[in-house]
Amino acid sequence: MLEQLKEILSNKLKVSPEAITPEATRDDIELDSLAVVELSLLLKSELDIDVSDDDLLEAETVADMVALMETRSAKV
Amino acid sequence: MAGIDIAVTGLGLVTPGGIGVGPSWAAVCEGRSGAAFDPVLADNPVRISCRVPGFDPEALLTARRAHRLDRFVQFALVAAREAITDAGLDPLTWDGARVGVVLGCADGGPGTVEEQHHALREKGADRVSPLLLPMQLPNMLAGQTAIEFGATGPNLVVATACASGATAIGTARDLLALGRCDVVLAGGSEAMITPLVMAGFAQMGALSRREDDPTRASRPFDADRDGFVAGEGAGILVMERVEDARARGAHQHGRIIGYGATADAHHMTSPHPDGAGVEAAVRAALADAGADPDDVQHVNAHGTSTPLNDVAEARMIKRTLQGDPLVTSTKGVTGHLLGAAGAVEAAFTLLSIEHELVPPIANLVMPDAEVDVKLAYSATSMPIDLALSNSCGFGGQNTVLALAPA
Repeated sequence: MLEQLKEILSNKLKVSPEAITPEATRDDIELDSLAVVELSLLLKSELDIDVSDDDLLEAETVADMVALMETRSAKV
Repeated sequence: MAGIDIAVTGLGLVTPGGIGVGPSWAAVCEGRSGAAFDPVLADNPVRISCRVPGFDPEALLTARRAHRLDRFVQFALVAAREAITDAGLDPLTWDGARVGVVLGCADGGPGTVEEQHHALREKGADRVSPLLLPMQLPNMLAGQTAIEFGATGPNLVVATACASGATAIGTARDLLALGRCDVVLAGGSEAMITPLVMAGFAQMGALSRREDDPTRASRPFDADRDGFVAGEGAGILVMERVEDARARGAHQHGRIIGYGATADAHHMTSPHPDGAGVEAAVRAALADAGADPDDVQHVNAHGTSTPLNDVAEARMIKRTLQGDPLVTSTKGVTGHLLGAAGAVEAAFTLLSIEHELVPPIANLVMPDAEVDVKLAYSATSMPIDLALSNSCGFGGQNTVLALAPA
């Protein structure tokens, strides 16, 4: 799941790939509130995972986002 | 504001002639048209345009920033960076509170609007990008430029259609004269070559239909002209009071000594047939400069290559400026950059003054019989003490800048 998130962040949101590590915070990868909404839309359209922008804003690191994705994915 | 001298210490250009002042100036001096078949317009009634060649926003701005900026803002940031470097200023050390940004555009980011409208229709409202508004709003031109360079002084975008870039420069002159700031990034940027916008221009009958020979399509003042070719790009000037520029030992490309702005109050798209509104703007700019109309030696005309504009403007020049100035229109090379045109052409006019060289009117073969002014058939070397750059917008908005050597 980390690889899938990395791919979306780098290919679609143009985040520098080397910056995307599990420990990276939203600030580290420049994900402001607008980018978080974009990411939420992309998770739905690319991976069919429902994670709201509000939920993503609760995630402090990339690892937290991956955990969120895995939880939501498991429910489907 | 006669007696107020404003220096231009930095120039930045992104035009269909190339990226940067050097390539852009070379293209207009060589009369090398940037018009070509445009694949984006393949399904349109008119399929030619003047694009900026080789513009790679990811390489010029980083992929992350390019993703979040409409093309009209991307052009402005690249041109502004060149202008600031040229001026010898450093945004990391300048007093940002004294730096203003005044830019013009006609339409903001229609490319983003069209793309997101497509997403709305095809996928639904919940798939529209949250970046739709921050990318396309016209004010983002100045807002994003301020963010990029830490300019926290007066910040505004003016919209006077195809006079916008020139109006921005005139407005910047006023802000500097009033002491509202010490440095202004002024100019215009435009990226309106989209299927919808170009369909609208085509339906108006404003565009040249010379699709079989695109490089000859934009032909200002020529008897055989049939409309403009749309261009894209940006022109940014760094402006300061002359005494400030002198105090820091900056190179000056030239001075902005007068600004005139008027309205035709006549028709939503057609210029006043005898050019009364532009004449009033010319007279206002010269009065502002404390100069005599007969002293004008060179005019960079609005010269769109449309049947109506060129004759009305030529009549106005003949009637108003008795000193027989040499007239050019650089739109033969660049096409019509719409809201950026006035800024790009002000930059070209300053370069003409600095290099004592007037670029030719590309594609001018036989002038319209009603055009009775001295036209630049070829690149012409001449000293210039006073030049005008004319700009006119839909809605009858006219802006004229009076320019002089440093």
